Amino acid sequence: MKDENIKNTAAEEEEIDLFKKRQSVQLTPENAEFIRSEGGLVSLKLKNDDGSVEFFERVLPIRSFPITDPDEFIAIREPDSKDKGKGDEIGMIRKLSDFDKAAQELLGEELQRRYFTPQLSKIYSVKDKFGYSYWEVQTSAGKISFVMNNPSSNIRTLEDGRVFIHDIDGNCFEITEPEKLDKASFRHIEIYM
Amino acid sequence: MTILPLDKPTEKLLEILNANAINEQNIEAALKLDLDMNGDFGECWLLLNFSEKTLCSVDINKESFSSTPISELSGTYIDSYTTSNRVLSHKKTTDSDEKHTVILGNCTNACKCKLLAFVTIWERLENGISVTEDDPIFEQFNAKCPKCGRVYENQQRRICTHCINKKGTIVRMLSYFKPFKANLAVVLVCMLASSVISLLSPILNGKLLFDQVISKPTYNEAGEMITGKLHDIKYVYIVVGIIIGMAILSLTVSIVQNRCNAYMSTRVTRNMKNDIFRAMNKLSLSYFNQNPTGRLINRVNYDAVRIRNFYIDGVPYLIVHLLNFVGLTIFLFTINWKLTLIVFIPVPIIVLIFKIMLPKLWRMYNKQWRHSSSLNAFLGDSLNGIRVVKAFAKEDDESNRFYKYSTNLFNANLQTNIVSLTIFPVVSLLIGISSQAIWGFGGINVMNQQMTYGDLTTYLGYVGMIFGPLNFFTNFTNLLTDTMNSAMRMFETLDMIPEITEDKDPVDIPDIKGAIKFNHVCFHYNPNRPILKDITFELKPGDHLGLVGHTGSGKSTIANLITRMYDTVSGSVSIDGVNVKKIKTECLRKNVAIVSQEIFLFKGTIADNIRYAKPEATFDEVVAAAKAANAHDFILNLPEGYETMVGIGSRTLSGGERQRISIARALLLAPQLLILDEATAAMDTQTEKLISEAIDKLIVGRTTITIAHRLSTLKNCNVIMAIEHGEVAEIGTAEELLEKKGVYYKLYTLQNEQMKKVMQGI
Repeated sequence: MKDENIKNTAAEEEEIDLFKKRQSVQLTPENAEFIRSEGGLVSLKLKNDDGSVEFFERVLPIRSFPITDPDEFIAIREPDSKDKGKGDEIGMIRKLSDFDKAAQELLGEELQRRYFTPQLSKIYSVKDKFGYSYWEVQTSAGKISFVMNNPSSNIRTLEDGRVFIHDIDGNCFEITEPEKLDKASFRHIEIYM
Repeated sequence: MTILPLDKPTEKLLEILNANAINEQNIEAALKLDLDMNGDFGECWLLLNFSEKTLCSVDINKESFSSTPISELSGTYIDSYTTSNRVLSHKKTTDSDEKHTVILGNCTNACKCKLLAFVTIWERLENGISVTEDDPIFEQFNAKCPKCGRVYENQQRRICTHCINKKGTIVRMLSYFKPFKANLAVVLVCMLASSVISLLSPILNGKLLFDQVISKPTYNEAGEMITGKLHDIKYVYIVVGIIIGMAILSLTVSIVQNRCNAYMSTRVTRNMKNDIFRAMNKLSLSYFNQNPTGRLINRVNYDAVRIRNFYIDGVPYLIVHLLNFVGLTIFLFTINWKLTLIVFIPVPIIVLIFKIMLPKLWRMYNKQWRHSSSLNAFLGDSLNGIRVVKAFAKEDDESNRFYKYSTNLFNANLQTNIVSLTIFPVVSLLIGISSQAIWGFGGINVMNQQMTYGDLTTYLGYVGMIFGPLNFFTNFTNLLTDTMNSAMRMFETLDMIPEITEDKDPVDIPDIKGAIKFNHVCFHYNPNRPILKDITFELKPGDHLGLVGHTGSGKSTIANLITRMYDTVSGSVSIDGVNVKKIKTECLRKNVAIVSQEIFLFKGTIADNIRYAKPEATFDEVVAAAKAANAHDFILNLPEGYETMVGIGSRTLSGGERQRISIARALLLAPQLLILDEATAAMDTQTEKLISEAIDKLIVGRTTITIAHRLSTLKNCNVIMAIEHGEVAEIGTAEELLEKKGVYYKLYTLQNEQMKKVMQGI
C-alpha cells in the first residue's frame, strides 16, 4: 500500500493539529506516580517513553467495569474543562493491586467518592403513597431517607445476588448480601428481588 | 438585599452565622449540600456573601464555620459523576500566583440542580451581572401543577396533593361498574340464589329423599315418627323431580349470572383500557423514554383484566363464600355439634399449612413469572436482532442462551409444581381423614339412633362444602394484593399530570411568520447530564438555519423544544414573540413540521402515511408532496403504487425511501416552520441534491432549520450555528464562520481534506 510512505502534506499537519488527541498508555508503578494534591485531590506524575515527565494537578479515575471489576481497568483521564472540552484519557491501570499501598489508598478513596454507593444495612420503613415509596434506611454513610418510584425497574438484582436500589434523584444504594439483612429489612425488598 | 430563592436558610444555620458575626442580610444565595466534607450524609451550606466578598461554608452537624475571600477563588466548577458531585475551585496559594484545586463541598444528585444554579449565579455575580428573584434560572424550582396552578410541594415528585384523586382505590375501581348497577344487582341475586340452592340440596338428598321417603318408618323412644313420613313410591317421583328441578333452576341461575357477567365485564375492561390508552397518549415524551414499551403494553392489557377479575371472580364470591361459611357452620352445629368438632379439628392444621406454605408458593410463582418474562425478553431481543445473529453466525450461541433461559424457567416450574403438588394432596388427605372419621363416628351415632342416616348424608354434604370457602379465604389476600398493585399502576397512569399541557388561555396565531427566539434556554432530560446550557439566538422569518455540531451536542434537542416535545427547564422559546408554552397546541402542530432522525411508518398504505398529519388531504396533494420529496418515482415502481402497505411486517423500504416518505409527510402540511433533523442522511448525494432543490423551492419565505453532519446539505443556509457541549459555539453566515477558524472551520477543513484525499486516491 502506498499510504505508508506518503509524505505529510501541510494540510495533513494542520488536520493533525486540529484533531489532536492524546495516545493512552498503560500505567504501571514504573511510569506513573500518584500523589495527593494540596487540595486533597489526585495528582499524577507521568514518565513518558521519551524520558520527559508530565505533571497533572488533577486526574480522574474512571472504572471500566464498575460493577464486576471495580479495581481493574481503571482509566485515568484529564478533567473536562471549559476551554479544552472533554478530557483525554492519559492511560489505563490494568490492575490497581499492581501499585503500592499509598497509591491504592489514594485512588481507592477517590473512586469510592466518585462512585458514591452507600451500603444499605437496615431498612426501617417503606411507605407507599401515590405511586411513590418513601424509604428510611441505615447506610454506611449514615441514616437517611429517600424516595423511589417504579420499584420493579429501580431495584436491580445481579446474578451474584447483590441488589442495587436507585432512588428518584439518581442516587444508588447497594445491598451486598440481602440474605444477611435482618428479617424485617429483608421482607421489604424480598418481593422485588 | 434579600436572599435569592434557592435554599432557605434554616434556624440552625442562622444561629451559626450569628455566632460568627455574619449578617444574614448580606447573603445573596444559600445552597444546602447533603454530604459533608468526608463524603458522608450530613448537612453543609455554601453561602455567597458578595457584600463582604466572601464565600462561607458551614457544617451544621459539626457546627463548623469557615470563610474564604471570593477573590482567591476562580473557575468554580462542578465535577459530577454518576451519583456524587463535587464543587471544585481554583484557589490562589498565599505565597505565589500558582493556583491549586480545592474542594468546596460534596453533594448527591438530590442537590444537583440547585448546585448548578448556584454556580451560575456565582459566575454572573462575579461578572457584575445582577441576578434578580424572578430570573428564569429559578423557574425550574417552582414548577406548577398545570391543572390548578399551585406550586408543587416537592419539585422532584410532581404530584399535586390538591388535584390528586383522594378516593380510595377500591372505590375508584368500583366507579367503573357504576353504569352497570342493574347488572351487578342481578349477578348478586343470582349468586345468592345459587348459594341457597347449594345449601338446600343436601337436605333434599339426605333428610327428605332418604330419611322420609326411602327409609321405612321408625319411631323414637317418645313414639314420634322420625323417618319414613312419606314412605310411598309416588313421593320418590315427586322428590326426585324436585331435585332435578332444583338442578335445572341452579343451571338457569348460573347461565343468567354468567351472561350478565360477560356483558358487564367485557365492557368494564374495554372502558378501562380506553381510559389508560387515552391518558398515556396525553403524557409527554419523557414518560415514554422512562417506561419501556413492553411495560406500557402490559399496563394497558393486563392490569385492566386483573382488576376486572377481582370484581367478577373475587368480590362477589367473597360475599357468597362468607354467607355460605356462616350458614354451613350453623347447619353443621345444629345437625350434630359433636361431629362438627371433629370436622373442625383439621381446620387449624390446614390453615397453618396454608399460612406457612402459601407465601412460599407465592414467591415461587413470582420467580417463575420473572423467569418467564426474561425468557420472553430474550426471545424478543434475539428475534429482533436476527440480522446481527446471522451476520456473526451466532445461531448456535443464541440457541444455547435460549436453552439457559428455558432451563431456568423449567426449574422454577418444576419447583412450584413439586410444592403445590405436595401441599394440596396433603390437605385433601387431611380432609379425607376427617370425613372418614365422620363416617365412622356418624355411623356409630346412626346405629345408636342418635341421628338418622339421612342426617348423616346431609351432614357429609355440608362438610364437603365447608372447605371451599376456607380455600378461597386463604387465597383472597393474594388476589387482593395483586389487584391492588394493578389498580395502583393503572391509577398512577390515569392521575399522571402530563408535563406538557396546553396553556389555560392559549394564543392562536392564525398566520405564523416564523420568527424564532431562544432566550437563555437550559434543558436536560436528567439533571446529571445537562444537554443545553444557556442557549440564546434569534431567527427572522424566512431564515434558513443550518445546525452543526458533534453527535450528542444538543442539536435535535433544539428542534424538540421548538415543536414542544419537551419544555425548557429554564429560559424560553418563542415563535413570533409568543412563548411556545402559550401557543395553542393545534396551531403549533399545524404550522411546525419536523422530519426527525427516527422515522416511523405506521402500518398502512404509503398514501395514509404521507397524509398522517392531514387525513383530509386529497390524492392531488399527496402526489404533489411525494414529488417534492422525490418519492414519487420509487413509489410508482412499487406494484401497488401509493396503496402499497408499509409498516412492521409489511413491505420493507430502504432507509432513504423511508426518509423520503417522512419528508413528504412534513411537506404535505405546508408548514410555516420546517425542521429537517438529519432528514437526508441516508440518501445518496444525488437524491439529496434533488430533494434539497425541491425543498428550497418550497421553503421560500418560510423559516427552516436543517440539522446535518454533511456540510454540503447546508449550502443554502443563510445562517449557520455550531453547537458544542450544549452551548452556542458560533453563529453567523458560512463565510463569517470560516474566517473565525472555529468549530465550523474545523469541520469544513476536515471534510474538504477527506474529499481531496478521495480525489487524490490516497
